[in-house]
Amino acid sequence: MHLRFSHIVMRDPWFVIGCGLAIVFAAATFLGPPLAPFDPWDMSFTPISPASARHPLGINDAGQDILSELLFAVRNTVGFGLVSGMMALAIGVLIGVSAGWFGGVTDMILMRVADVLLAIPAIMVLILTAALFRPSPWSLAMILALLIWPSVSKGVRAQTLSIRQSLHVKAAAQIGGGKWYIIRRHLIPELYPLYLIGFAAKARMAMFMEASLAFLGLFDPTRKSLGMMISYALRYYYMDIWWNWLLPPILCLSLLIMTVTFLAISVEKVLDPRLREILGEETA
Amino acid sequence: MMSHSKHLLRVRLGLVVTFCLAALAMIYLSYALPRLLPGDFVTAMYGSSQVTLSAEEEAELRAYYTQEPGFGSYLLKLGNLDWGYSYAFLRPVAELFFEALPWSLLLLGSAHILSMLIGFVTGVEAAWRRGRLVEKGMVGGMTVLEGIPEISTGVLLLLIFALHFSWFPAAGAETAYAQVSFMGRLANIGHHLVLPLATLILAYFPGNFLLTRNSMMMVIKAHYMTTATAKGLPPRRIRYAHGARNALLPLVTRFGLRFAFMITGALVVERIYAYPGLGTLLFNAIQARDLPVIQGVVLMSSLMVLAIILSLELVYRFIDPRIEDASSF
Repeated sequence: MHLRFSHIVMRDPWFVIGCGLAIVFAAATFLGPPLAPFDPWDMSFTPISPASARHPLGINDAGQDILSELLFAVRNTVGFGLVSGMMALAIGVLIGVSAGWFGGVTDMILMRVADVLLAIPAIMVLILTAALFRPSPWSLAMILALLIWPSVSKGVRAQTLSIRQSLHVKAAAQIGGGKWYIIRRHLIPELYPLYLIGFAAKARMAMFMEASLAFLGLFDPTRKSLGMMISYALRYYYMDIWWNWLLPPILCLSLLIMTVTFLAISVEKVLDPRLREILGEETA
Repeated sequence: MMSHSKHLLRVRLGLVVTFCLAALAMIYLSYALPRLLPGDFVTAMYGSSQVTLSAEEEAELRAYYTQEPGFGSYLLKLGNLDWGYSYAFLRPVAELFFEALPWSLLLLGSAHILSMLIGFVTGVEAAWRRGRLVEKGMVGGMTVLEGIPEISTGVLLLLIFALHFSWFPAAGAETAYAQVSFMGRLANIGHHLVLPLATLILAYFPGNFLLTRNSMMMVIKAHYMTTATAKGLPPRRIRYAHGARNALLPLVTRFGLRFAFMITGALVVERIYAYPGLGTLLFNAIQARDLPVIQGVVLMSSLMVLAIILSLELVYRFIDPRIEDASSF
């Protein structure tokens, strides 16, 4: 099953493009600091100068090298997205599996909490906490993860319910497999496609949130971020800074979100027939 | 039959309870979080703002904020529209809020409805032409568009249509002090609305397109579609009266949730075009570190979003009872 999955997915052009872009961004994330030609906080250059051989993207209003800024910004945005996405996935899977497996009161309480969280606009809670406490980006990523897990856990719960009914799980229980054995050996590995979809969707959301929050000025102003760069550059939009200052972060942010979107869509597309089968079985 | 309608009632009650809990959670957060701040509220609020307080002003404020009102009276104050006083704009928060609200509702409401409609129609048409080059091109284009966040679309549209071609204004919601007739004013507002609206639509209709297309692909295979074709009905009638109606369900169940998604985008887009809605108010308040305004706008707009989603859910459940089954998994 897993072999077939990876086989199909490699032939999907969206997946291939997504992977290619992901590798570029991973390189920028991990190699960013050594690759950056200057210290992004060094303010010793002539402010608002156009692109030159020494500064390929020019200098911003504070006299900082824009290319170095960009490399650090990509790193921060990607990091925020990955951390928040992974945490949301972990919480979502844990709660979804518990709700689906144990059922009853546990299920009712957990799903009610999920419904309540689903209704609350996450950005508003983030703005409030960021404005009041000015927490570190990592704390904000964690708060975001605590707010966006419900959609993951709903999918995981539905899938858990159907896997629980399947013959091989019943057989495993028949030969004396314990609760934890079945959860560990059958349930967690079989939900694996949902992890990819859930993680991609949440990481995408988190990166977008990070850019928006930075754009609105809710992070530490010295922290490099794509949203912050766009926000600062937009203050000088009437000047000739479009090509070297405003477009690079916009392009990076769009490509970043596209990367995750492509991966999510291609994985979902490949898995769709399987999910459709399951849904069909449920209604039959 | 009796038990079925009882079941429906229970689901609806559960929905109302969920949203009330969410509203209470938001109100409690906005009540409790400022009290968790280290030190006292006055230092935290005014210490970093651009306002300098005299000694007696500070003492007065401290006396005002240290009287512990309790959650009950906080609720009462909210109900009385007493949401605090902005120290950057020097006006009551409620006044600022209700001044900005109509613009946000106009922008968000029209963007939401239009992106739903456009996404739906293009999705149906694309599914109808499945397998053809047009459809593949559309799906590819929409997938790319889906990956472009509204920050980027907004800035690019601003560059192209406001700065380069100067077709549309770059900021504001209407021309200030323009003495024009009622119709002229409407046209002026529409002219200012085009770019922010287009940005939001471009960001949100691809999702609706992909959703509609996928559900329409399933509908097309149904037997009643073959029957409709065999009866010799006109193609548009088959497509919309027989097909699209049944493909509407997944879109409708996400109607409220997608509205909530748009909030983040609307904040950013309003700031890009300096549109005088809640997003710009919030942005200005964040820049001035005007905490009462941030708190008021965050809480009130969240409550409003909750109310809008809840009423939407109740209304379309009333219109189409099948939704109970579709959204329960």
